[in-house]
Amino acid sequence: MIESWGRAIALFPHFAEVLLLAAITTVEITVGGFVIAVILGLAFGILKTSPHRTRRAIATVYVEVFRSVPVLTQLFIIYFGLGEIGVRLDPLSAAIIGFGINGGAYLTEVFRSGIEAIHAGQMEASFAIGMTRPQTMRYIIVPQAVRIVLPPIGNYVIGLLKETSIASAVAAPELMYQAGTLIRQTFLSSQIYLMVAVIYLCMSLPLSRLTRHLESRMGKGKAAGGATR
Amino acid sequence: MSAMIANLRDWLPELLVAAGDTLEMTVCAFILAAAAGLVLALMRLARARALSVAAHWYIEIVRGAPALTLLFLLYFGLPGIGVTLQAFVAAVLALGLNGAAYLAEVYRAGIEAIDKGQREAAQAIGMTRPQLMRWIVLPQSVRIILPSMGNYSVALLKDTSIASLISAPELMLRARDLTSEYYMPMEIFLLVGAMYFAMAFPLSWGVRRMELRMQRR
Repeated sequence: MIESWGRAIALFPHFAEVLLLAAITTVEITVGGFVIAVILGLAFGILKTSPHRTRRAIATVYVEVFRSVPVLTQLFIIYFGLGEIGVRLDPLSAAIIGFGINGGAYLTEVFRSGIEAIHAGQMEASFAIGMTRPQTMRYIIVPQAVRIVLPPIGNYVIGLLKETSIASAVAAPELMYQAGTLIRQTFLSSQIYLMVAVIYLCMSLPLSRLTRHLESRMGKGKAAGGATR
Repeated sequence: MSAMIANLRDWLPELLVAAGDTLEMTVCAFILAAAAGLVLALMRLARARALSVAAHWYIEIVRGAPALTLLFLLYFGLPGIGVTLQAFVAAVLALGLNGAAYLAEVYRAGIEAIDKGQREAAQAIGMTRPQLMRWIVLPQSVRIILPSMGNYSVALLKDTSIASLISAPELMLRARDLTSEYYMPMEIFLLVGAMYFAMAFPLSWGVRRMELRMQRR
């Protein structure tokens, strides 16, 4: 056991280089998935608050289906399933698309609650001055809702960052996958997985600090807004 | 079409057994998370600083790293120091210890949400700390805590799928075995997705009903 830690220390620079490069891929998947999730979440969140029943139903089906199935299953459908019917994606794209669609379902609910939190009087007022629904959304509701949804979006990003580790199962060359490769070469599993955990912590802890900061600022913002109203 | 029905006849019995394993893993990990989470929450709220700091760091570290790293550390790392776990046990431990950190925060939020004045009032009429917890704080906290625990159980049910990555027997592992046997990943994973839906959707629907009922009171 002491021997293996000695070996781990000798190989540390090599491990650090490989793992930090892999962490960049982890960040790429997180950012890529996040962008798709925000676009889908905003679009379906607006649909979900629509006065049309069918539009609401479409958004509901999207949310319920993608939130009730594990993201690993979704990744396998996209990577292996689509491959079977001739749509071959590289692992990285499959992961980004998978996390994006899955996260979109989660963010739909976040954006819906943000939109619903804006006082109905504001929507009525903008209709009264002749704005259309898309205009109202674009200029009145969404800019205010974005402020409300920032903390839950922050929590979602932290969850996503950790969840990207599952992309190793479709061989996307991210942190967890490269850790596996190093372990197959050196058999130093505890040392390498501990390093991996530390790298994830270095990325997620600052993010959760930031989110908590946003949460407390939003709380204050709300109180101040209430006082001026 | 008839080939598909023949395949379904082969797959379904195996997948249903595996879905049973998934449920078993979910229940075991949930019990562990609920119990260990309670211990952590009590440590977190304890007056002894060492206890509360230890619990705080456990929660921060476990919530900051992916459940998958904890799973791999327990399954692949522990044999290095002479502890070899069965895949199912490692999966329950990893998911349970991971969930404990999450539920500890849920419990704490539930307890802290009760207005301080109520505690002071209970003390003023001579209740001891255990008494006021039992009769004043907890009955009200439960309404805040239960929906979050319900949501956690839905997330846990889906998270058990990662146990397949250490070859623990559950639904996703069985599905992967079947795909390497039949090479029909689209059909098999869609079927498995539908099976997860059939388990997770009623559960999350029930949780939402409960949430609405608790809010109304």
